[in-house]
Amino acid sequence: MGGISRRNFLKLSLGSLVLSSISIDLTPVKSYAATELKIRNAKESTSVCPYCSVGCSLIVYAKGGKVVQVEGDPDSPINQGALCPKGASLLQMANNPYRVMEPLYRAPGATEWKKVSWEWALSEIAKRVKATRDKYFILKDEKGRVVNRVEAIAHVGSAALDNEECYLLQKLMRALGLVYIEHQARI
Amino acid sequence: MARKALLITPDLCIGCRGCQVACKSWNDLPAEKTKNNGTHENPPDLTGYTYNRIRFIEKVNEKGEVQWLFVSHRCLHCGEPACVEICPVKALKKDAETGIVYYDKNQCIGCQACQAACPFNIPRYDKNGKISKCHFCIDRVKAGLSPACVKTCPTGAIKYGNREEIIKEAKAEGYSVLYGETELGGLGVVYALKASPKEYNLAENPKKPENLIAMGQMLRTLIEKGVALSPSVLKDIGLIKG
Repeated sequence: MGGISRRNFLKLSLGSLVLSSISIDLTPVKSYAATELKIRNAKESTSVCPYCSVGCSLIVYAKGGKVVQVEGDPDSPINQGALCPKGASLLQMANNPYRVMEPLYRAPGATEWKKVSWEWALSEIAKRVKATRDKYFILKDEKGRVVNRVEAIAHVGSAALDNEECYLLQKLMRALGLVYIEHQARI
Repeated sequence: MARKALLITPDLCIGCRGCQVACKSWNDLPAEKTKNNGTHENPPDLTGYTYNRIRFIEKVNEKGEVQWLFVSHRCLHCGEPACVEICPVKALKKDAETGIVYYDKNQCIGCQACQAACPFNIPRYDKNGKISKCHFCIDRVKAGLSPACVKTCPTGAIKYGNREEIIKEAKAEGYSVLYGETELGGLGVVYALKASPKEYNLAENPKKPENLIAMGQMLRTLIEKGVALSPSVLKDIGLIKG
């Protein structure tokens, strides 16, 4: 850029401003195996790996609303950019023909799953939890001691839960009166 | 940009194969059918859609202990790449800056001479018969990023950097054997070992084919004469065996 005068520089910047506003990619096509860096101009968002309780940080690269690459976040003190094979495969979790996109419901005795709305599914779960809890709530044990517990519902957590999620679940389940609160990692 | 290299330290590898998956993710390579071969090694070989994999080597040492060695299997990006020398259409290239051996599928005619010439039997072919192998993520390297396998490696078993510097570092860390430091003009993938390369099933004293230059000239002459080179033609002239 050494030989560019101020006038020419302005012309160049104006030119590239116009070009960038009509978004034409002027980069020369390279003869590499992959012709263009696929995360070039992609939108970067941070996320957390959903698999294990380590909770590695991710950068998700998206173009036109479609995920094109998922990598570890180098700024994270947890994984420092690294990912295990499960974490490294997250691209195919986002882009997968088998991905379930809406809640499915199979009524008792039914053989087929049917699509339902989130609203219906969540309120139905809440209704049934409340019905079971109310029906089987134990106020006092056989010796008359106040116990306030529910033995008819159990909760199983998973290793994918992080600290904060475990805390919230524990709070909710204890509030409902559950005593059978288990964790997949203990099985 | 100085010559780049990967430093692979099998002693640090835990065999998680994050590198294999990260490679597939970055290069948008599909999964392939595999089979259980009685070990955890999977997939069983490099293919047109698997550019790197970890070899699982089970050995019993002198003390009678079982050793489980994890060794990266991929293109080693030779300093004097036989594949580039023999390729009659210059589809295989060596990057002048970084020393990376890469390729252009559009130029490849699928004659498979590169596989015949490769001292490590690395090049594979996709379903269209075009060359496929590790290209050192040259797109990432040129953009200032590390290759996908390096970035994902949780233990630092694959390191990336300027070749001279990472070799110096490996020596300072006490690795006595640096496989690839001098072999074939110095490999772009260097293995830091504490035992002989043989222990890790790495080819000792790899050599380019003796008639490489003559064969390359012959292939180019054939193309000039209008012969459509293919694996069967190369078999006829004895370049591909079997």
